[in-house]
Parts: sequence; structure tokens; C-alpha cells
Amino acid sequence: MSTPLPATATGPDPVLVARDVVVSYGGVHAVDQVSVNISPGGIIGIIGPNGAGKSSFLGALGGQVKRSGGVITLSGQDISSLLPHQRARLGLARTFQTTSEFGRMTVFENLVTAAEGDRGASLKSVVLHPRRTKMREHAAAEHAWEVLRRFEMERTANHYGRELSGGQRRLVEIMRCLMRSPKVLLLDEPMVGVAPHLTHKLVDDLRAIGRDGLGILIVEHALEVVRQLCDQVVVMALGKVIASGSFEEVVQDATVQAAYLS
Amino acid sequence: MGQLLASSADGIVVAAILAVAAMGFTLQFGLTNVINLSFGAVMTIGGFTAYLANVAHLNAWLGMLLGGVAGAVATVALGRGVLRLYARRRTQLFEMMMVTLGMGLVIDYGLQAISQNAIYGYTVLRGAPLRMGPIAVTPIEVGIIVMALVILVAAEAALKFTKLGKALRATAVEPSLARSCGIQTGRVVLITWTVSGFLCGIAGVVYIISTQSVDYSTGELFLPLVIAAAILGGVGSIRGAVVASLVMGLVTEIVAGYGGAAYSTVAGFAILVVVLLVRPGSVSGGAEDRQLVL
Amino acid sequence: MNAWGFYVATLLIYFGVDLLSGISLNLQFGYAGVVNFGYVVFQAVGAYAAAVVVLGPSGGVASFQQYVFGARLAFPLDLLVAAAAGGLVSLAIGMFSLRRMRRDYQAVVLLIVSLIAIQLVSADVPLFNGANGLTGVGWPLGQLLGISATSSPWIYAAWVLAICAAVFVGVTWLSRSPWGRSLRAMRDNEAAASAMGLNITALRLQVFVLGGAIAGLSGGLLVEYIGAWSPGAWGYAETFVIFTAIFVGGVGNYRGVVIGVLLVPVIFLEIPRFLPAIGYPGLIDSLQWVAIGLAWMLCLLFRPQGILPEKRLRVGRPVGPPETAVAPAEGAI
Repeated sequence: MSTPLPATATGPDPVLVARDVVVSYGGVHAVDQVSVNISPGGIIGIIGPNGAGKSSFLGALGGQVKRSGGVITLSGQDISSLLPHQRARLGLARTFQTTSEFGRMTVFENLVTAAEGDRGASLKSVVLHPRRTKMREHAAAEHAWEVLRRFEMERTANHYGRELSGGQRRLVEIMRCLMRSPKVLLLDEPMVGVAPHLTHKLVDDLRAIGRDGLGILIVEHALEVVRQLCDQVVVMALGKVIASGSFEEVVQDATVQAAYLS
Repeated sequence: MGQLLASSADGIVVAAILAVAAMGFTLQFGLTNVINLSFGAVMTIGGFTAYLANVAHLNAWLGMLLGGVAGAVATVALGRGVLRLYARRRTQLFEMMMVTLGMGLVIDYGLQAISQNAIYGYTVLRGAPLRMGPIAVTPIEVGIIVMALVILVAAEAALKFTKLGKALRATAVEPSLARSCGIQTGRVVLITWTVSGFLCGIAGVVYIISTQSVDYSTGELFLPLVIAAAILGGVGSIRGAVVASLVMGLVTEIVAGYGGAAYSTVAGFAILVVVLLVRPGSVSGGAEDRQLVL
Repeated sequence: MNAWGFYVATLLIYFGVDLLSGISLNLQFGYAGVVNFGYVVFQAVGAYAAAVVVLGPSGGVASFQQYVFGARLAFPLDLLVAAAAGGLVSLAIGMFSLRRMRRDYQAVVLLIVSLIAIQLVSADVPLFNGANGLTGVGWPLGQLLGISATSSPWIYAAWVLAICAAVFVGVTWLSRSPWGRSLRAMRDNEAAASAMGLNITALRLQVFVLGGAIAGLSGGLLVEYIGAWSPGAWGYAETFVIFTAIFVGGVGNYRGVVIGVLLVPVIFLEIPRFLPAIGYPGLIDSLQWVAIGLAWMLCLLFRPQGILPEKRLRVGRPVGPPETAVAPAEGAI
């Protein structure tokens, strides 16, 4: 039995629907029948004490973690059994808890690689369709500069991923996601590695991205970030959803307070 | 049927030799997370030490003990002296394996140079084989099987009941957590190397008792089987290493008995390949996020 | 042709073959992060394939050497078959050995698989003429031109180097292409690359097969010069020498590989030939290997990226209309 789904504030149909998702590791349910709807432009936060299963749930949505039950649909299409790269090609993007920038590639290359993705970069198209590939490369480069400009990161274009600061790496990760114009963005503790005095900038950036019409799901420990950013908040503990609603509602919920204290 | 029994007996002997080496390897591997490719070279050092002890007319069992000591000393020297240098430069796990490969080359071919690339006979402790129907085992082979079992029991007990054993298991699972609990991980690693190195040296001696000769490539030829057994048995699992050794030993000898020696090692390795095909996750499962512990 | 000329020409041929190996391994390891410790198997397969399609039909059990297939193909089919053989065997092995696993595990698995292959071949007489190998392999292109490899080694050397140049250009081009970038992304962070839409399994297999084809080609070139093929000639130690060459010369940089292959297999391993014989025969060989091991270790300690590190691709800002030319905000993350 799943708990009631969080009501979406606005009209549009949800772009990502997760229903009764279960993830179990050898008999233990890390995620126990969790359901979430993400609408375009909506920002949903998942919070909860350690071991609540938040990252496992994100992993199940992204395809990195094998789900044992439940259904996940993206724009109405069932993606429950698809591999991560297949889900990405349908419009899903995610970041990882430890920043996943490509360390031995420049920031520019990080972005361009994301844009070309599957079609432009396949061996077949590179060898058989050189002109088309060249055109795609140009388009990707243009797009990359746009994104770099938007996030004021042009100066880092030629820096290797591993030469960046924590906050910059996180930005590269997010910029990379945006290069594919995804429908849904999953963020796994995006504030990890970002210096505290810079998180507000990241929050502003994320809010702007939400205004573009992406659906965003963010797993986060920093409650202040969640308060500022999220329309809806889902609280997980021991694999289950124990509360959902606006940040204020959820924070005053007795069960939530008990879960955090225990 | 007789062939099967005889081969099985041979298989258990091979398994025992493999098990001693694999237990030593997996002990090290489970803690440091480094695939130590110089393990074979250290086995050879153990073997040569026993040989030299024999030349000096020392008791054969004392020679084996000295072989173990040589193995322990070499492993600690390499781990503390050499690998530490790289750890300081934040070398990754894969590069560490490459470093141990280089170390192995230096030792192997250094030994080749010193030993003038000759093969030395080592025919101690051979007795007349005891026969039970189709099965023929020499007393020393029985001794090796007993030794392997004793090591298994002792190691499992130590890991479970002693304070050091618990510290080792804690460090292997979550090193930073162990450190913050007050466990001196540096000491744990040092002791693990000593024990693992000792087993490695002993394994080298046991191996050359069986093959009756020692040369620079002794350990090098045996190493892939040892690594296969350790990986099959699961990283850091002493019990697993023994079970894997048993399976590999039996398969190797039974295939040799029926199909000829040429295919025996193939069969042994093929087990790893089959496991890869059938259950790929189990080979490296859980090893992804492990960090370097030195 | 004096002995000295013959020696230098042979050296050039070995340099070329090793360079092809270096390019293949650099593509697989330097760019894609695949550690192919079993490289030598694909080279041996290519050599064998070239040998049997040049020797003519097998005489069967009665003749002094027996093997499968057997044909008398003309140039360029012999080398194409060699490359195809290397590629096909890579595909077969890659399909079950290349999984998502830690790089060191991957290396060990591929090493073990190559050991199996070497053992199998040594054992099986009807298929591969067992431990004796094959002899009498000719050079089809030479036959067209009316020369043999051994009588005109300089021409053969030029031929090998020409092929090297072509492969060098081709592989460098591929590595700089979007496909090459995908490989590097896979190398740097597989999970992220996959979550970005890249089909990791396909990429890994592609680079493995391409590298295997080059390996097969190099084997074909080698066997047509030497004229003989035996299982014992292919040990996994040679792979480590090439890896040393890559580490020394430059990981992820093909020009670095040229330097590395020149320094390690060629110059370094040939120097002892000119040293006065010291100690017992074979001492120098042993010490050479000790030196290779030390070179490994020193390289990894002091300069893991090699002499010529991977080149950083720099981009300039595109020249365009001023638009809202605002200086980048200070203090941006």
C-alpha cells in the first residue's frame, strides 16, 4: 500500500511517474513502495534521515539500481526495464552524489560530449557520415558556449574537469545535463562539495532551470536549500514515504520530527 | 571409476597447495584492495629460501618455516617500503596493481639473474606413496592437506574471535570508520602483510615440494591460478578461497586424468570464465567502491 | 646486402609491428580505459590466419603440418583476413569478458583469458599443428612483385612503415572524433557517461574489436616476414613491454607512443647486443627485464602520464556580434 501521492500544484500532466517502486538488497527493502509524480516546472525535494533509501530511489529512477517492483514512466512511456543510457535518450538526466565530471577532459569537451550523445558520436556516423557529424559538432559547440555563458563559466572552458573547485564541478555536471535538453533532472545531493557560501548561487541556478519547464527531483540533506527551492517535499524514512506536502507542512508533521530524532 | 577416485585424490592435493596460497592472497587483497601481482615472486623467494636451507643441511620443516619467514619479510618490505611511496602520491587501485606487476618483474628476473636461470631440484620430504585402491598419496601430500585445513581453521578463528581479527574485518569493510573508532589501521595492515606474506612463503615451499624443483618462474606460473581462486572465492573470504581452490583443484586433476595434462590448466581457468558468463556480477560484485588501504 | 643492413631493416620492421601494437593498446587503454593484457592473443590469431591463407590447403594428418582452412590468397586479402581474424576473436572474447568492472579486475580477467587461449593452442595439434607451429609462410605482395621478404628486407620495412603511417593517421582521426570523445568519457566516469546516453557496452566492444583488428594486422605483417608461426613465440610478457612503451612515451598520445616504442622495445632492448658480454650467457637478458620492471615503477612514480602527455584540446571564444557583452561576474562559483 503506498501513501497518497503528493498533489501537484499546477495543471500539466506529470512527466515522470514512479508508482510503488521497490528496491531490495537481499531481503531488506531499501525502498518500500515509494510513489512520486514530477510535473514539468515542478521541483520536488526528497528528504529524510540517513539510510532512508533516498539515493537508492533515485538510482532506481535513473536505472543505476535494479528495482524489484513498481513502475516508472517517462512522458507516459514505461521505462522500468530500460538501461540508464536508454532512459537518458528519452529525456532523463541525473547528477551523482560525488561529482561525476570527466576529469581528464576539458569543461568544453564535457559539454560537447553530452550534446552529441548517442547519434552524433556513434562509430557508424563518424565514419559513414562525416559531414553530418561535423555539422552536429558545430551545433553542439554553439550550444556549449551558450550554456557556458548562461552559467558564467566561459573562463573554465579549457580547464580539465579535475582542475576545478567543488562548486565548479557540480555546475559542470548540471550544465552537462542541460546540454541534452532533458525533460526531467534528478539531483543527488547537489550541494555536496559546494562551498557553503556559494550554495545560494546554485539554488538560484536551479530555480532558473525549473522555470525553463524541466521537472526536477532533488535529494538533499540541507533543509534550508529544500525550503528555498522545492514546491513539494517528500519525506522518506526506512524506505517508506512518511509524509509529503509543502515544506512547512512537512516540517511540522509529528512523524517526520520523530523520524529525524530517532 | 578408479580413475575418478585417483584424480580426485590428486585434485584434493592440488587444492590444498592452491588453498594455502589463495588464503594468503585473499587476506591481503581483502584488506588493501590491491591485486598484488608480486605475490608469485614472493612465493618463489620462499621456495628458494627452503632450497638454500636444504643445501645448508637444515631440517626440511625448518626450511619451510624459513621460507615462510622470508615471504613475510619480503611482503612487508615491499608493502611498507615500496607501495607506501605510491600511496603518498594518491595512486589509484589500478595503478597500484601495475606497480606490483613491476615489482614482480624485478624480483622474478633478479632471481633469474642470481640463479643463473637454472632449475634446482628439491626432493625433500618425499616418501613412498600410500596406496588405498586406485588412490596414491605420499605422506607429505597428506601433510599438506592437513596444513591447509589447520590454516583455514586458525585463520577463521582468529578473524572471528581475536581483537585483531575483528579490527581487520572492520578495516576491510569501512577503513575511515574503523580509524575513527580508534583502530590503528596502519598496524592492522602491517600484521596482515606479515601473516599473508608468511602464508605466501609457505605456499611457495609447499609448491616446490610437489613439483620437486624450483626456478625463477616457479611462482609466476602459479600466480594466475591463485588469483583466479581468490576472485572466485570472493574478495577477502578465507572460506571462499578454500572452496574455490577445492573446485579448481578437482576440476584440474579430473580433466588431466581423462583428457591429458595439456588441458588441465585450461579447465582450471575456464571455471572463472564460466562464472563470468553465468553470473558476471558475482566476480567483481561490491568491489567497485572499495578504496585503497595501505 | 650486408649483415648490418639486414639487421637495421629487421629492426625497422619490428619497430613497425610494435608501433601498431602500441597504437592499438593506446586506443584501448589510453583513450577507452580498457586494459587489454591479453593483446598478444589477437596478434597471434591474426598471424595464424595470415599464415594459413598464404600456405595453401592443409595436407591433413599425413603432411608435416596440419591446420584448418588453408588457401593461397593474393594480396591484399591475406592482411584483410589477418585483421578480420583479430577483430572476430576480439568480438568473441569481448562479449563475455568485457563487463562493467574495476579496471584491475578487467586486466586480470583478460590476462587469464589469454592464458587459456595460449594453452589451448599449444595443446591442439590438428587445429594448429600443436606446439610445432607452421613454417614456410610467404609474402603475397612480394610474390606479386617477384621478391621475397628475406631477400628485400628494406622494401618490406618500407611496406610495414607505410601501413603504420596509414593506421596512425586513421586511429588519430578516430580518436579526435566524437566517438573518441565518447571513449574518454567512458574512461573517466562510466556511470555518468551511461547516464548521459552513451551505450557503454557497445563502445567498449567497438574499441576492443578495432584494437583487435589492428593487432591481427600486426600479426599478419610479422608472420609474413618471419615466415613461421609457433604458439610458443607468443608470450604475454611482450604485452607488458608495449605497455611500458606507452607509459614511458605518453598515455593517450599517439606521438608519445611512437617515442615510447622507439625507446623501449627497439633501442632499449637492442642495446645489450652491443655491450660486452658480462657474466654468464643470459645475464644481460635477465637484467634487461629487471630494468623494464624498474622503468615501469619509476615511470608510475614520477611521470605516470609519460613523456608526451595527452594533448589538451583548447577552444577559443567564438567571434560573433557583441550582443550583451557582459564581463563574467566575479565570484561566480
